[in-house]
Amino acid sequence: MRSLDRMFEQSSRTLAQRTSRRSLLGALGQLLTGAALLPLLPLARGGRAEAATAQPDVNNPQSCDYWRYCAIDGFLCACCGGSTTSCPPGTVPSPITWIGTCHNPADDRHYMVSYNDCCGKTSCGHCDCNRNEREKPTYRPSRNNDLNWCLANGDDSNYHCSVSVILGVVPPGS
Amino acid sequence: MLMRRRALLAALALAGVHAAVADPMVDYTLFCMGCHGAQARGVPGKVPPLAGALSRFMRTPQGRDYVLRVPGAANSALSDAQLTAVLNWLAERDAGAGAAPVAPFTVAEVTAARRTPLASVQETRRAVISALAAGGGAAPALDY
Repeated sequence: MRSLDRMFEQSSRTLAQRTSRRSLLGALGQLLTGAALLPLLPLARGGRAEAATAQPDVNNPQSCDYWRYCAIDGFLCACCGGSTTSCPPGTVPSPITWIGTCHNPADDRHYMVSYNDCCGKTSCGHCDCNRNEREKPTYRPSRNNDLNWCLANGDDSNYHCSVSVILGVVPPGS
Repeated sequence: MLMRRRALLAALALAGVHAAVADPMVDYTLFCMGCHGAQARGVPGKVPPLAGALSRFMRTPQGRDYVLRVPGAANSALSDAQLTAVLNWLAERDAGAGAAPVAPFTVAEVTAARRTPLASVQETRRAVISALAAGGGAAPALDY
């Protein structure tokens, strides 16, 4: 018991000799300030939860991440009363189209896809999707998609939404 | 030995070029079909047809020159070799549908013509078609 007393006395004396009384206040202050500031540090707490659910939705036709939308620019007809390949009632597909190639992760092949605009009603306004992979600027008109393909439809040149029709598989090596 | 190696390299290079233009149907689909359509019939009043028209243009030097210099061909993203293959493939389809066979384009012919833009596409088209009609034989329709 005596040795315990001596040990604590010794450590208390050493502490008193080596530190000032004010340093305790300083340390306490730092601890309190640090604890108060900790929640303000830029930790990606929300990001972690988001990353867990934000996987590209490559198989959902109503998601812009759907694999065959890789070169689309417009509203998805699948969100506008139509489907991936059919125009909504009251609209007709444009005879001229934008054509791209998309990689299908399910079978690891590239597909040629025709993006027909559906025309005859005002803009759908749902699921705007502008991916336009491999598109070139306007000064390369043959590879630019910034136009209303419904202009070829005569009286029905109002753009409503876009469908994505598979034309075929790109042979490997081409 | 050196000659043989050079010949081999040349053959390999040609094989590479051939592989790059092996499928004109795919190039047509990706670079032409968007406007000219799956059957190459065009859109009345908007896009000229290729089916039944291209091989007719290819009968005269003026017609061949015109076809290679129209904006859709000259400004396409296709290389000279790819463009040559696509045009010849379309002409073969015409011949398969009963049109008179025509001499295919060569890559040199395409390279020489497509870099000079047409000043007036419609006027040139009318002049070429009128000359084709005057020379006898089938000519493409004046308007589309």
